[in-house]
Amino acid sequence: MSKVRVVFFASLKERIGQSEYVVETTLPLSIGDLKHLLARQLSQGSALLEKGIQSSIDFEFARDSDTVTELVKEVAFFPPVTGG
Amino acid sequence: MILVQEEDFHVDALYKRLLKANETGAVAMFVGLVRQFSDLPNEACQFELEHYPGMTERNLQTIVDEANARWPLLDVCVVHRVGRLSVDDQIVFVGVSAAHRAEAFQACDFIMDYLKSRAAFWKKESQGANSHWVEANDRDEVSLARWKP
Repeated sequence: MSKVRVVFFASLKERIGQSEYVVETTLPLSIGDLKHLLARQLSQGSALLEKGIQSSIDFEFARDSDTVTELVKEVAFFPPVTGG
Repeated sequence: MILVQEEDFHVDALYKRLLKANETGAVAMFVGLVRQFSDLPNEACQFELEHYPGMTERNLQTIVDEANARWPLLDVCVVHRVGRLSVDDQIVFVGVSAAHRAEAFQACDFIMDYLKSRAAFWKKESQGANSHWVEANDRDEVSLARWKP
């Protein structure tokens, strides 16, 4: 088992009720599978499965099909961005 | 230059930074501001801008690199504020200097379009005790489509 640090932002952080979480899992794992794992472990985790939730792996935008490996330091989940 | 900061910025100082002696033929600049979003008095409306330290700066650098790859630019300057903001405050500055106006205008427009949809910032509006996160606008994605090859 490996540990993956996961961080949340904006409305997703508020809904989940925490800004970060460390999940123990077997790697490699896809972002999509990680979402489902977190949805089961976190009380409000189903928010992660809603349409439009975006992700990043080590500060680069990621897709559900992208892989989280042992080398990854941080995965983030967040709603669509609204800057500018 | 790319800056993500709480402090306000001075357009005149940023403009001077963009000028390259003997080379600059055009400077295009865009400033985004907080506008009134309800009928309540100004002081009742507040904005909070959240970002993802480490990722946001990287997103902006990627966008600026892409602009530099598409057009011959002399310099690019992006400043985006975070934290608490009020109505009429400046939020974002994008400035581009080039030899000619066409590339300066286009690159400035391109950078703002990508910044809206591909940089980790989130806006929250509040009025008194009520607050809500701003939802992404479909038009921003449509606007991005203009730049697809």
